[in-house]
Amino acid sequence: MGRMTFVIRRLLLLIPTALGVTIIAFFMIHLIPGDPAATILGIHATPRAVAILHHQWGLDRPLASQYWLFMDRLVHGNLGQSLYYRVPVSGLVTSRLPATIWLIAYAAVIAVVISVPLAMIAASRKDAVRDHVVRVIPLLGLGMPAFWLAIILQSELAVRLHLFPVTGYGQGPIGHLHSMFLPALTVAVALCPVVIRSLRASMLNVLGADFITTAKAKGVPGSRLFIRHVLRNAVIPAVTVLGINIGFLIGGTLIVEQVFSVPGIGSLMINSIFQRDFPVVQAVALVFGVMVVLVNLLTDMAYASLDPRVRFDR
Amino acid sequence: MRQRNVLMSALIAGSALALIAGCGSNSSPSGTSATNSGPVHGGNLIFNNPQDAQSMDESNIFDNNSIWILEQIMQPLYTVTPNGKGVMPWLATGYTASSDHLTYTFTLRPGVKFSNGQPMTSADVKFSLEQTMAAKAGWGYIDAAIKSVDDPTPSTVVVHLKYPWAPLLADLSFFANGIVPNNFGGKTAAQFYQAPIGTGPFKWDYWHKGSALKLVRNPLFWKKGLPYLNSVTWTDVPSDNTRQLQIKSGQAQIDQFPSWSTVSSLKATPGVVMSLFNSTETNYLAFNEKVKPFQDVHVRKAISLAINRQAIIKAVLFGNGKPANSLFPPQVPFYDASTPGYQFNLSQAKQQMAQSSVPHGFSTTILIGAGNSDYATISTILQSELKPLGINVHIQTLDPNTANTNFQAQKYDMSLTLWTMDIPDPDELATFGLDPASGAKSFFTGYDNPTVVKDIHSAERISTPSQRQSLYNVVQTDAAQDAFMAFLYYSPYPYVETSNVHGFFVTPLGNYHMENVWLSK
Repeated sequence: MGRMTFVIRRLLLLIPTALGVTIIAFFMIHLIPGDPAATILGIHATPRAVAILHHQWGLDRPLASQYWLFMDRLVHGNLGQSLYYRVPVSGLVTSRLPATIWLIAYAAVIAVVISVPLAMIAASRKDAVRDHVVRVIPLLGLGMPAFWLAIILQSELAVRLHLFPVTGYGQGPIGHLHSMFLPALTVAVALCPVVIRSLRASMLNVLGADFITTAKAKGVPGSRLFIRHVLRNAVIPAVTVLGINIGFLIGGTLIVEQVFSVPGIGSLMINSIFQRDFPVVQAVALVFGVMVVLVNLLTDMAYASLDPRVRFDR
Repeated sequence: MRQRNVLMSALIAGSALALIAGCGSNSSPSGTSATNSGPVHGGNLIFNNPQDAQSMDESNIFDNNSIWILEQIMQPLYTVTPNGKGVMPWLATGYTASSDHLTYTFTLRPGVKFSNGQPMTSADVKFSLEQTMAAKAGWGYIDAAIKSVDDPTPSTVVVHLKYPWAPLLADLSFFANGIVPNNFGGKTAAQFYQAPIGTGPFKWDYWHKGSALKLVRNPLFWKKGLPYLNSVTWTDVPSDNTRQLQIKSGQAQIDQFPSWSTVSSLKATPGVVMSLFNSTETNYLAFNEKVKPFQDVHVRKAISLAINRQAIIKAVLFGNGKPANSLFPPQVPFYDASTPGYQFNLSQAKQQMAQSSVPHGFSTTILIGAGNSDYATISTILQSELKPLGINVHIQTLDPNTANTNFQAQKYDMSLTLWTMDIPDPDELATFGLDPASGAKSFFTGYDNPTVVKDIHSAERISTPSQRQSLYNVVQTDAAQDAFMAFLYYSPYPYVETSNVHGFFVTPLGNYHMENVWLSK
């Protein structure tokens, strides 16, 4: 099977995945108690006002009919109207999506920038002090609650040193790079330990391989040996680990988005659940599903391009 | 391999760039000529809100974060006075009333223009009031007494009433009766409220949903020389701690509703001003009279008497509140300070319990929304305070939406709730809270006292203030003695401002006039 066939097959898999996501999201959000009219009307939610809103929104129809209407709109490219903001859902989601993508991509980049040199340092001398230090200290990142780390970073780097803004998404690529650094670092710190451990273990494996012994015997210097021979071969399992974790991060950046007021779809999702903004919940769940499939696809493709032995057979 | 090295260098350079970018983008207020002697023009103010606005559709919006912003754009004929107890002319300059109090003729302020340059006329007022009157799922009921509106001349508006209606001016000061261009300036309502136009001190710039809403100075504002600020941006920052850090870093200038636990430390923080504005916020414990044994007035009285309000104020508001004695808060016209609302008296509580249908106690629940730490604390205190009466309270925590839905459907035993006034007249609260025939079924308690109902509706149609006061005194006393809810406490509005913010004031109804705010250097 060629690469293109593989990609097309995986992209076709998006259709049943998306369908499954819409069914689960639609029925779960409709079956839990609560009413969007309670959010909109607040304390003024009289039965008459609630009934009028339900009729306007089509919530007085049978559930199956509501789902059919949602799917009918979806295939015509219409995600419906937000009950809370009273604007088209597609505009709302597309305006919030870039912030989440920035956050995840930026975090992944920072995680790589931190993890690669640290893993190399650790693997360069197994069981030495530096190996133990690199193995233990990043583990703190896993144990630290994201909101706590976020507050520490905000207090020290934003409030005390004024290096970054406390919150926000910034304007333009440079603004995003600057404003999103602290949120991305917060996410990256949790990502690093897994990547470092995976990379270090792979590097140690590679270091024991015959071709490394040969390279050493040929007199390849240490740094060149590490970068050209060890890193390239060791990075393959780490890419898989990173890909899986990025997939996990999609929709899992909520706390970071909340603390740093990043206008992403994670916070949109949770607010919409609380507000019972059904159309938005359905749309965001769909976007999450599609993103996870795409990230997995990209991970597989990256894996294949890094390792020529991998074939697109299955 | 070369490509990889390039990639790695780019990553490292990117991180460095993130730092470098920060050196040039710190925003700071900019005044044109800061002096210590008075207001200066200029500056862009960042206003932190814990929650994003919902909509700018004034006839159909119930959310305070939306209301307090849209009031900077669209203005009514009258506005509430700073003490929250009266109204003053705003887009109208005055009125005359017919002898039967069924016809009111308003004179419009000359020279008022919308921010698009179009003059405001009586046709705009007629259209605006009729829009709100027609909002069946919105604020239509506020204007229920209005029969029709006429616009005989461009500067005169005539309001015809179905019956004499004492709260008319208060209702006309209500944000939902803000004036918009006739026929929405040729747009649909949905299109218009995406970027509304009004006569207010600020005009629309942008709204990035879930992030920030920005208004800029309206140079055509009818109050000459105002507003001072070039722009105000309301940002959506859900975390209390983050909002506080933004104020301390100078990234924002006003923080709405910091958590009570931080009030005393903020008072002592240099560079910030902690303000506690008088408010109409009143917190209650509601009893569902559809559920046994809350139909029993002795049970309700016993619980009301067993609550140590000072302990709640100390634990929740860190001392920054007052025990409530009436359904009405003190900042409402016709509030009666001598209303005999029950206060903490355990021996009397036990006596009431002994006279009740459940003298040995019972088990019940208190419904609260998840994530509301104040209500969680109060519930725990109540759980402990009701034990001596033999009442076992189970705290039922549901997600906020479900809790609201269940409360409004009267699927609860006891629940914590609150009220803030929308208009400077007690009529709205009295009807909402005491009339079982109103949509809210007496604040969703089912309380029904025909004498009280008769009195509140009589008070609506009497124009003599002293007579209204007498009726509302009786209403407040009856409601307190029936203990249909336990009146818990009155709370101020906490706001934090950086010390370069001047002129910021919040009325007891929660409204603020950003045209009066200025920033010093």
